[in-house]
Amino acid sequence: MRHPLLVGALTFVAGTAGAQDLLFPPGEDARFTWESFDTFAADHDLSGQSVTISGPWTAEDEVTFRRMFEYFEAATGARVNYSGSDSFEQQIVIDTSAGSPPDIAVFPQPGLARGMAAQGRLAPLPDDTGDWLRANYAAGESWVDLVTFPGPDGREAVFGMPYKIDVKSLVFYSPENFAAMGYEVPGTMEDLKSLTERIVSDGGVPWCIGLGAGATTGWPATDWVEDLMLRLHPPEVYDQWVAHEIPFDDPRVVEAIEEFGWFAKTDAFVDGGAGGVGWIDHRDSPTGLFSIPPRCFLMHQASFIGSFFPPDTEFGSDVDFFYMPPYASHPDLGRPVLGAGTTFAITRDTPTAQAFVHFLRTPIAHEVWMAQTGLLSPLTTANLDAYGDPTLRGMGEILVNADTFRFDASDLMPGAIGAAAFWTGMIDFVAGDSAEDAANMIERTWVSLARTGGLDTEGEAE
Amino acid sequence: MNQILFAGLTILVGVAGCLAYFWLSNMALDRVFPPRGASASANLRRSGRIRPWLFLAPAILFLGVYLVYPVFASVWLALSQGGVFVGIENFVWLVQDPKFRESLINNVLWLIFVPSMATLIGLIAAQLTDNIKWGAIAKSLIFMPMAISFVGAAVIWKFIYEFRAEGLAQIGLLNAFVTTLGFAPHAWLTIPLLNTFLLMMIMVWMQAGFAMVLLSAALRGIPDETIEAAILDGANPWQVFWRVQVPQIKGTIAVVWTTITIMVLKIFDIVFAITNGQWGTQVLANMMYDWSFRAGDFNRGATIAIVIMIAVLPIMIWNIRNAHRERD
Repeated sequence: MRHPLLVGALTFVAGTAGAQDLLFPPGEDARFTWESFDTFAADHDLSGQSVTISGPWTAEDEVTFRRMFEYFEAATGARVNYSGSDSFEQQIVIDTSAGSPPDIAVFPQPGLARGMAAQGRLAPLPDDTGDWLRANYAAGESWVDLVTFPGPDGREAVFGMPYKIDVKSLVFYSPENFAAMGYEVPGTMEDLKSLTERIVSDGGVPWCIGLGAGATTGWPATDWVEDLMLRLHPPEVYDQWVAHEIPFDDPRVVEAIEEFGWFAKTDAFVDGGAGGVGWIDHRDSPTGLFSIPPRCFLMHQASFIGSFFPPDTEFGSDVDFFYMPPYASHPDLGRPVLGAGTTFAITRDTPTAQAFVHFLRTPIAHEVWMAQTGLLSPLTTANLDAYGDPTLRGMGEILVNADTFRFDASDLMPGAIGAAAFWTGMIDFVAGDSAEDAANMIERTWVSLARTGGLDTEGEAE
Repeated sequence: MNQILFAGLTILVGVAGCLAYFWLSNMALDRVFPPRGASASANLRRSGRIRPWLFLAPAILFLGVYLVYPVFASVWLALSQGGVFVGIENFVWLVQDPKFRESLINNVLWLIFVPSMATLIGLIAAQLTDNIKWGAIAKSLIFMPMAISFVGAAVIWKFIYEFRAEGLAQIGLLNAFVTTLGFAPHAWLTIPLLNTFLLMMIMVWMQAGFAMVLLSAALRGIPDETIEAAILDGANPWQVFWRVQVPQIKGTIAVVWTTITIMVLKIFDIVFAITNGQWGTQVLANMMYDWSFRAGDFNRGATIAIVIMIAVLPIMIWNIRNAHRERD
């Protein structure tokens, strides 16, 4: 608390907000599970207490988060001091090393939390957290695995509470164009592939794929490969891949890369031809969906891409999305979902911090943010009707219907792989290298990391 | 508003602090060795010997902290891994890494192409603009890119090389030109080898102005008699330029050449902002950045930094010697 004055001012503002100023007045709107709010309020009285939270949310997300935790304040009488930082991951390491951690930290990806748990800097959550996640989160087992880390003594425990999830397994399309051509949303990967071929035989271009991203060029390809990995192989294989328990050039990984190549490396399948895929900026690539006549019919991308659609785009009529379908030939894999998201963890164990993390179990903690914008929740007891718009609801439905959830592999791999070699490998693959060569190059880099032994703070997932 | 106040305050404190340091340290020295009394001359000699060091001390301190210490820290980082001494293991990894070989080859290409092209263009521009009426305007146009930051130039040229799918309006100048001539557009920067040269063009564009200004000054410094004598002897303009003028400004050409060479050895921003080393355009400094800040492996980053330092060192020494000789 380097700026006591500033913090004082903020809490003053938050304090005056009070119960009467809550965004959605308790008890009024039937979309919300007010009962959970009342029960939580009855069980917790923390008047005069406070909890400090630091997280990666700034600007709009910070405002939304504040409007959410006001309900915690109203229910318990405790005060929440939130500070958001654009460089949260550096900040939290500095703060904990300096011995002044916040009570709760919100990690943008679990790799760093895992490292801090091993150093004894996180307090394990209550023992029933795992069972609760299994029972209440869709694909519960996946979530438990994601936030179970070994502590400093090597004993595994649940250290994190996943909250606010992004979905990446989305294919965007234009319903109008689909209707005009008589295309239907494919339910299986086989259908998606035959639709791709049919669009070509109808004289169209099926896909917009852009891997360009300036200094981070190549990353959109990693989402493709990860999504296909989950649809071709059991999630255990995916976990082994992430943890480097199988080599990166394992035939199963190569298969997923080749599958991506089927879409991206066929000239007729992509806008701009295979040669343009690597260069075209992913932020420009959606324009093909909206041009007249359409330059492409399909685009695989995460939910954030909506911000790069033309200004007056109507979701539902101009553009919509469907779940990246699974293979009919792999029925045992169910409906896997690829995504990312934040994890709450306790960095200083206080009753108020415990209560706050417990508050995240209530449907109301999810619904209040769902009703605004920017949050998708896997909590099955949260009311889907609470979503602020049909788009978010559609993505939320994908999340609660998931059989498996896996976190973005490139985020969990060491930075030298997930943020460098994987990108380069995919660019080289699209530019003409074989899938084996590209995977082999990445594998050699990964092996060289192990040889020097460095790097275990980021994303070493087992 | 706060920031402006804070910045103003910092400047004030900094400047006042400097003045106070020199004034107070000088006063203290005079107090210890007073230039009066019985031993005045001995004191004066002694304080005269100490005074330069007193004034140099802050500069030496800061150079030590920000220049000398990092060099030693980098050497240690390059020879260790996770705080443990590993000898030359990082260097062994480096020479076996295919990306390092690619970077090395690219850096050599940059080294050959950029300084020679920039100097050549600068030299020709200097000679031509000195002899025409609107030379001043041409000169300022050629010089202007110098004022643009590397990243800014990278963004401008990224638009020049930009690619849009065939059939769309090409917003990239190069592709617009190519399609007007009836050819198909290309994603130029994804074509290996060609892309490295396209990136070099940006640096040439930026550095030619610098070369021109220095060389133009040097050309004007040439005694007119030598040129007149050559013309009287029947030399044509071509011969006057290459045989008479250029040999007389050899020293300046060398300084320009080496200065650009050192800049090229550190080339980073252009590659980082446009291709990030993909499609075979990787260079050493960008590779160093990748390993240090994306992979979080400062040991390997430092290893590459050491390689760059060793490569720059001889050229730098030569450059400084040359500059000294120029002055003498």
